[in-house]
Amino acid sequence: MTKIRDLANSLHANVLFFVSPILLLLAWAWVCSAGIFPEQILVSPAGVYQTAHELWGSGELQSHLHDSLYRLVLGFAIGSLLGLVFGVLMGLFKPIDAFFASTFNALRQVPTIAFIPMLVMIFGVEETFKIVVVAKAAFFPITMATYDAVKGIPRSYFEVSKVYQLSHISLVRHVILPATVPPILTGLRLALGRSWMVLVAAELIAADSGIGQMMEMGRQMFRIDIVLVGVLVTGLIGFLLDRSLRAVETHLGRWQQS
Amino acid sequence: MNFSIKSETPVIAWLLVGLAFMFGLLTDANADPAKEVRIATVAYNVNGKIGFNGTAAIVEEQGWLKEELKKQGVTLTWVPVTAQSVGVTINEGFANKSIDFAGYGDLPSIILNSGGVETRIVVPGGRGNNVYLVVPPNSSAKSLADLKGKRIALHRGRPWEIAFARYVAASGFKFSDFKISNLNPGAGAAALAAGNVDAFVTLSDAYQLEDKKVGKIIWSTKSAAQDWKMRAELWGAKDFIAQNPAITQIITTAYVRAVYWTSQEAHLDEYLKIANQNGQPENVFRREYSDDSVSWKLRWSPLFDDLVLDHYANVAQYSRQANLIRKDINTKQLFDARFLNAAIKELKLEGYWQPRKVALKGA
Amino acid sequence: MNIINQFLLNVKHFSGLLLPVTVAVVWEFMSRQGDAYTYIFVPLSQIGSGLVELIQSGELLINLGATLQTTVIGLLIGGFAGLFVGGLMAVSPLANKLIGPLYHTMRQVPLLGLIPLIALWFGNDLFSKILIVSLAAFYPVVLNTFEGMRGIEHKYVEVASVLKFNRLQLLIHVLLPAATPSIMTGFMHALAFAWVSTVGSELLFSTGPGVGGLMLMAQESSRMDIVIVAVVSIGLTGLLMNASLSHLRQYLLRWRSVR
Repeated sequence: MTKIRDLANSLHANVLFFVSPILLLLAWAWVCSAGIFPEQILVSPAGVYQTAHELWGSGELQSHLHDSLYRLVLGFAIGSLLGLVFGVLMGLFKPIDAFFASTFNALRQVPTIAFIPMLVMIFGVEETFKIVVVAKAAFFPITMATYDAVKGIPRSYFEVSKVYQLSHISLVRHVILPATVPPILTGLRLALGRSWMVLVAAELIAADSGIGQMMEMGRQMFRIDIVLVGVLVTGLIGFLLDRSLRAVETHLGRWQQS
Repeated sequence: MNFSIKSETPVIAWLLVGLAFMFGLLTDANADPAKEVRIATVAYNVNGKIGFNGTAAIVEEQGWLKEELKKQGVTLTWVPVTAQSVGVTINEGFANKSIDFAGYGDLPSIILNSGGVETRIVVPGGRGNNVYLVVPPNSSAKSLADLKGKRIALHRGRPWEIAFARYVAASGFKFSDFKISNLNPGAGAAALAAGNVDAFVTLSDAYQLEDKKVGKIIWSTKSAAQDWKMRAELWGAKDFIAQNPAITQIITTAYVRAVYWTSQEAHLDEYLKIANQNGQPENVFRREYSDDSVSWKLRWSPLFDDLVLDHYANVAQYSRQANLIRKDINTKQLFDARFLNAAIKELKLEGYWQPRKVALKGA
Repeated sequence: MNIINQFLLNVKHFSGLLLPVTVAVVWEFMSRQGDAYTYIFVPLSQIGSGLVELIQSGELLINLGATLQTTVIGLLIGGFAGLFVGGLMAVSPLANKLIGPLYHTMRQVPLLGLIPLIALWFGNDLFSKILIVSLAAFYPVVLNTFEGMRGIEHKYVEVASVLKFNRLQLLIHVLLPAATPSIMTGFMHALAFAWVSTVGSELLFSTGPGVGGLMLMAQESSRMDIVIVAVVSIGLTGLLMNASLSHLRQYLLRWRSVR
């Protein structure tokens, strides 16, 4: 019974989901056709679509997207791997925790963005700099999430498993993973969002390719349509990244319950 | 694609705030004669104090403009702009009508006008500034040919792109023969110092890089034809000029007074002292001005001569070819010589400067 | 393994200091390896004199003050707008359905990516910076206000309906107090995001005073010492603001539980 109601609700919600975006799109189109703002201030949806089409047709958009996503994936992989290992080590071993905690917490306070001038001075403006920025942005939230997750496993779980003489594999499979994976996934999702934002900012500041650079170039060349395409694309990517990790979260949540 | 549209503007509330704000801006512009005139100028923040660049510093120092405007009940507001992003900031200022006049370069102005925001040159800025190509001190590069395939820092859409593009073309190359990094001057200098780029295109701050031993100048427009130099002029918003001819005249006269004062050799030292306030050492200016094919007096000539005309025709042509602009642009319409001619007459400066070939008659 | 653990436990009391001290020693060592190294590894003494120079000229305080001001104004505007919108979404199902989808997708647009657009529309001055910072503060407060009010136990709402509260009374007397812990959490997040985006917008707008501008100028003139001083002061100020807001939160919540 509840299932049917849920289904109906979600269908309802899905329809409603499009109401306000479509209203906004219509308002945008109307404002443009009414000529309230000059074309160089606000480009119409059709104009933006046409520019996106041109950028896609010339392959420019794909090449910028490719560069940005490559940086994101590589930097995020490095940062999250290090964060996972580091978080587990700090969570399991008190001395390691004590050794790194103060430095870690101090560094965590500094926004990644504030490191950009320093990183540019050290690594220059090439790929290394952007990958380091993304990795740094991912590392801290993932370390925190992993650390908290490991710390959050109740001691009694281990005792119970000892009583039942669970093997190491089943300890990991049935106790540690279910207890730690959900919070770590949430950490990954937050970290991914931050990494994406920091990458776009870094590309705006210094790069020769990437979506951020496409927007910066559009700004320099007074092409508001290109800037708008960039805003839409970065938003869409941020949205998709968030949604797919959320999907993984719910999927694993279900798996965990069964 | 459709539903990502919403990401383009903040929440509805913000949109409304924005709309209201922009309505305000747009209706303001159509109001009665202005009570305030806003002039954007390159400025440097030195120890919390703001110093202006070039002619604006002299105009401010003379104080004449402020007084004259006050008599008309108009307040003068200088809008300081950082050297890192002059073109972009001023173009955006003209587009959202937060400035009325600005002293800035050739290429950004062409980009702006081609984008549909109309501005006019009211006072040409003399014979231009030099553009330099700098390499790391230990580099073996002696000319552009040695930099083929190498990484060059160049802030795109800035005036020095034109001079560099001419050098590239004259050397038989194309931009695609190099890896061009789009970096602002600050980031470009840092990248050169860190050895992350093989060359850097910039203005007279090149000498500062040499002094700090992080750079070596291998080429400059001093050795090129005179019209290769980068140009910057006093630009005004077309609508503002049309609605406020009297204010425009006062501003024009003030600028011509300032350049007349500066162009007298006797004032050189004092000029350097004032201009020095912007944080660049005096000897940088001296070197920028030395060994130049243009005399000190002519360097400051505000005349609309064929040098200016040809230069803009060239800039427009280059921008179109390089696909920086999408529409052809008639550069002749960018010149509004009425106010300058009146100012020259008023200050009795006819014949003080010699035009290069034919002068542009008042529109 | 046990011996190592034992040893490490013995130094536990000062082990948190061990790493920073080691880093400082290595740093200083690297700075003495020649000119090419001092470019990045500025001698500690030079960082010290850079700090003194910045304090004496007043640059550090002026810029830090400007950055703080932007953050606080943005936090207040964005935070209270977020409180309003989040509350509206919690009380009115219609508002929730209309605003919700927009909110959840727009939140994913990298805020600093909006800067080229905002610069064109609103200019390059303080207003645009505050707009960005307000947006950064807005998002988390909406979310936490909404979830805090939605998560209230049903019996409170029932009591309110017995007392025949209207929507406004319900909001002020029931929803708002009950959601305070969650709202304060939202403000804590908002502060962090506001601080990040203030620094980011200063780096990208590069006009007006601010620590971001100070860093850019230092980067231009290859003054790593000033960059480091700026980064450290950004971290410390962030820490300080975080601590004071967290005290405020504890104070507010203690008052509630006493009542």
